[in-house]
Amino acid sequence: MAAADYAIELRGISKNFGSVAANKNINLNLRRGEILALLGENGSGKTTLMNMLSGIYPPDSGSVFMDGKQVVINSPDDARRLGIGMVHQHFKLVDRFTAADNVWMGKKDSGFLLKKDRNKEIEAIAAEFGFELEPTKIVANMSVSEKQTLEIIKVLCYGAKIIILDEPTAVLTVQETKKLFDVCRKMKESGHSIIIITHKLNEVMEISDRVAVLRKGEYIDTVETDKVTKMKLTELMVGRKIELNIDRPHMEKTKPLLEVRDLCVDSDEGTTAVDNMSFYIRGGEILGVAGIAGSGQKELCEAVAGLRKIKSGKIVHKGRNLVGMNAKRISAAGIAMSFIPEDRLGMGLAPSLSVADNVILKDYSDTKGLMVDRKRARSQAESIVKMLNIATPSIDTPVRRLSGGNVQKVLLGREIKSDPDVLITAYPVRGLDINSSYTIYDIINEQKKKGVGVLFIGEDLDVMMALCDKIMVMCHGRLQGVVHANKVTKEELGLMMTGAVSLVNVKADSPAGIARDSAFTEEEWEEASDMSEGEDK
Amino acid sequence: MRFHLVRRSEVRLIRKICLYLAGIAVSFIIGGIILSSLGINPLSYYRDMITIGLIGNRYPGKSVEGLLKLFVPLLITSLALALAFKMRFWNIGGEGEFIAGAILAAVVAFKLGDSLPGPVVVLLMCIAASVSAGVIGLVTAHLKVRFNTNETLMTLMINYIMLYVIKYLGETKADWNFFLREDSERPIFAKFPENAIMDGIEIGNFKLLYTVPAAILIAVLVYFYLKSTKQGYEISVVGDSVNTAKYAGMNVYKITVRTIFLSAALIGLAGAFTASASGTISTDITNNVGWTGVIVAWLSKLSVPVIGIVSLLISVLQYGCQAASASYSQIDHNFADLMQGIFLFSILAADFFANFRLVRVHTAKTEPSKASDGGSGKDV
Amino acid sequence: MFEVITLFLFNIVIYSIPLLFATSGEIMVEKSGSLNLGVEGTMAVGAVAGYLIGCRCDSLLAGVLVSFIASALVGSIFCLFTITLQANQNVTGLTITTIGVAVYFFIGNALGPKWPAMRECERLVNSISAIEIPGLSKIPVIGKAFFSHNILVYLAVIIAVVIWLYFGKTTCGLRLRAIGENPGAADALGINIVRYKYLHIMAGSGIMGIGGLYMGLNMGGTFEGSNCWINGYGWIAIALVIFADWSTAKAIFGTFVFGFFNTLRVYNMPLATTFPKTLGWLSGIPAQFFSALPFIVTLIVLIVSSIRSRRHGSSNAPTAIGLNYYREDR
Repeated sequence: MAAADYAIELRGISKNFGSVAANKNINLNLRRGEILALLGENGSGKTTLMNMLSGIYPPDSGSVFMDGKQVVINSPDDARRLGIGMVHQHFKLVDRFTAADNVWMGKKDSGFLLKKDRNKEIEAIAAEFGFELEPTKIVANMSVSEKQTLEIIKVLCYGAKIIILDEPTAVLTVQETKKLFDVCRKMKESGHSIIIITHKLNEVMEISDRVAVLRKGEYIDTVETDKVTKMKLTELMVGRKIELNIDRPHMEKTKPLLEVRDLCVDSDEGTTAVDNMSFYIRGGEILGVAGIAGSGQKELCEAVAGLRKIKSGKIVHKGRNLVGMNAKRISAAGIAMSFIPEDRLGMGLAPSLSVADNVILKDYSDTKGLMVDRKRARSQAESIVKMLNIATPSIDTPVRRLSGGNVQKVLLGREIKSDPDVLITAYPVRGLDINSSYTIYDIINEQKKKGVGVLFIGEDLDVMMALCDKIMVMCHGRLQGVVHANKVTKEELGLMMTGAVSLVNVKADSPAGIARDSAFTEEEWEEASDMSEGEDK
Repeated sequence: MRFHLVRRSEVRLIRKICLYLAGIAVSFIIGGIILSSLGINPLSYYRDMITIGLIGNRYPGKSVEGLLKLFVPLLITSLALALAFKMRFWNIGGEGEFIAGAILAAVVAFKLGDSLPGPVVVLLMCIAASVSAGVIGLVTAHLKVRFNTNETLMTLMINYIMLYVIKYLGETKADWNFFLREDSERPIFAKFPENAIMDGIEIGNFKLLYTVPAAILIAVLVYFYLKSTKQGYEISVVGDSVNTAKYAGMNVYKITVRTIFLSAALIGLAGAFTASASGTISTDITNNVGWTGVIVAWLSKLSVPVIGIVSLLISVLQYGCQAASASYSQIDHNFADLMQGIFLFSILAADFFANFRLVRVHTAKTEPSKASDGGSGKDV
Repeated sequence: MFEVITLFLFNIVIYSIPLLFATSGEIMVEKSGSLNLGVEGTMAVGAVAGYLIGCRCDSLLAGVLVSFIASALVGSIFCLFTITLQANQNVTGLTITTIGVAVYFFIGNALGPKWPAMRECERLVNSISAIEIPGLSKIPVIGKAFFSHNILVYLAVIIAVVIWLYFGKTTCGLRLRAIGENPGAADALGINIVRYKYLHIMAGSGIMGIGGLYMGLNMGGTFEGSNCWINGYGWIAIALVIFADWSTAKAIFGTFVFGFFNTLRVYNMPLATTFPKTLGWLSGIPAQFFSALPFIVTLIVLIVSSIRSRRHGSSNAPTAIGLNYYREDR
């Protein structure tokens, strides 16, 4: 195929961030009117590459050809002029503006005055492309999928011929994903060329014509989708034949360590985030928490760790009610939490402080006197670095200089250092490549073997089904059921996550039955309540 | 040809130092151009400025005393502001807190100065000043943490309110107004009783006031407070990430209020020191130390040892400009303010060049080239 | 009696106008997502430059233009450091105030005594004499108070209204607001953020400068050793932006309220003697209290509005205010 037949062709693109090579000598081409899936693990450089196409970063070297002619993309404006439009994973919308104004502000021919009929005009343009758009709706009041639709309308409206979608399905439900794919096919029919970034194999198989694979910043291959298997794609992506083979050591059942009953918690906005949830964790088991992002997982973690006000309900740990205790006392009681937020460093670690100083974050005040015990901090930091094999120049290095996997190891290391008997860990492998992820799973399993009860809030259902003993599904802050991880199917979990199926109050012997095999006895509850009331006084 | 900015992941110390030195040199050159345009020989002006009028002076001790009188309040105020800035609390209220401290110190001086022995009076003045200024800090910190009130504007307004309070005291003749001289028709601030005036060690002609060792001691204490104590650790965590501090179970409210109280109290103390050293108060007692302190703290990157050096240098600049203005009638002490600003801007620019590098963006016609200077490692 | 009321209202307008210039300018700056704490210094430079040149040329137009340009240049320094060089906005703003006020004294003291003063400039003085708006100025009591002012007063109101229309009704205004809300979004659309910010911050700063010139002309233009004409008005303007909820239309009323406090300082005695029964108590209040009143009120407004916005959700403050934008930050 001649170069002129490609809508866009990248030759030898490289990009470094400091000494880290995000993209190394990448060659990629996109045919006219095709859907190309860009596949790769987290950190393989997919988004960096596409950001260069859309003008966010200029490449360090390499060239871009469109329709056989070399072009230079140095700014988003250049990209736009060339007809390249990108829907970023984090939407680039002004929350306070209406839908129409978000489109209007980027139009080149919108004129000096804001026309009164711009709403109608935008609505008409959207309709032209087959979208329904409420032009006066404020973006802040839109759902995620509405916002995504608006972003797509934006790029179409600005005349993009090449459309890049960065992980568009990450935030969508199954139904919304289907709708999005219909839109993609329609755009393809009308002559648009589409690049869709993803790491979900099912979606690759469903939507794409060809698949390009990146691994660790390098271009691996481009293959025709209908001539390849999922297995083969995984191999290309990871670099070796691997099976999702996570250990699940078997442990003897012990009594519940932590039981949550009728827990209600509000979100920051004052809406109900956790709605009347009841569950328990045994020692030596991993209880997974599955749910669409924002279903109340964060609030649940924070409530248990004492960081969020509990509206009603009880959290009983070793016969003591934790409700009303502050984070310090809960942590002293043996409950540890590590939460990896989306920006990784926003919670749990102080990025400018050294590894050593971060290690003592939770127990710096336990020593006597006015001074911080830096000697202890250093020895603890050194042992954690050694135990978890953390790659850092020294323990005095600021945490923000470490790579993602090592940051997460520091965080987990600190939590398990205190020998907790309940470990809450939220998104511990967020943004990590497969090898680092496995290290983290091993650390968690190690804790399980020690008899720790683990609450594992995860994103990837395959991982959770392999790692966890039981999986608890949340939807809109409500419990949809607790199932045995080895008995449930992904489809069942999916249905529960969207709220289509609820197993709460269903008999325990159903196939993916609610795993309600033990709980505190009523007497124990009485006892716990008495104790906590005594404490209140 | 187009250029494009890339943030450096790591900056070598030597590069930083070179850039800062270059920045200072540029500032002197700009200052020199201004001086030349007024018909002043910049070199001789700078010489007079840097030697703060010591050369050919029959009483060099007086010059050093004058310099130290500028240095002490500036050092303490800059340290105090650095404490607040470390928490990302924009305490711009140095002026107001300073005045509050000075007024309360004066109250103690006038009311108790005659009846109590010297050291006791001075100590009480310091305590009263610290507490009164500290309360201002306490209230602003409370509002900031509870309601997210803009602390920058809040402390700014307090500056002006306090300025009018001291003006009111200084301009109102009345029976109750014990701040003023009784024997004067026009309102003039009275001199403190002898016991309320700061004493010192006499070394020949030179009198080293006790405020100087006290200020240095405070600097050392603040250094260890930030570096080694639990409270200092808490300040660095809260300043770095409030979410993390909360997550670690820290009481962010308590830490903020405590630190800002301390910050304001230190500034109040500087007010008491100044009032006691000069034996009276005046409406311009602050000598703009609340503003200059912000510049010093930022120039020093909030590092305590650097604050010590920078506040000394800025004092030399200010005192030197005063001293030099005696022989150069075209120019007054405002030149010092101008130079401070230029210094800060040069340092801000130096920071930029330390943290970013310019990379040439290749255009369509040039061959793809490797554009990387191999900056040292970012992720490990 | 009515004369006193008219005079009182008239002076409220006089005192609120510099604040209106400064507040409108700062709203323009803040809408672009930058918090410029250098209003005081920017106004001081505009004041001294505009006044000296205006008197030298004996032309109000020259004065206004020069104050606009001089302050716009100060604004460009703010842009250079915060936008191009990514420096902290608070520190840059404060330094601009330090330098600006120093420049004011520096130039004012050096040239002020040598160059012609305002009273010697007939044309200039004439061009700031009152212009009566036909019809409206004949309304009893308020006609003279509101519709018989010098040209700068009308200019301030016109600028405030124009900025209001600009933000609400034009595409450029929409884009600028988008930059203040979410620079990343605007950038991704190919809007030239740097150019937009430079232009609007410079224009806003220039408008502040005219406010500074107005203060100089209003005070008769004597440079005193230690008192700057601006005298804290720049800071009040920053607070007024919050008071006016980032709307120049609301700023017209907001500045009027603050002008009222300032007028009280000067007119407490006439009011007290004209209305001895109802307002007699005014004479017992010290002048310094009235001087401090705008600051006290601002402080109260700040606190009350923050408590209110905590309860009722956010204000109209631009979301990205005070944050520097660097496209490649990940």
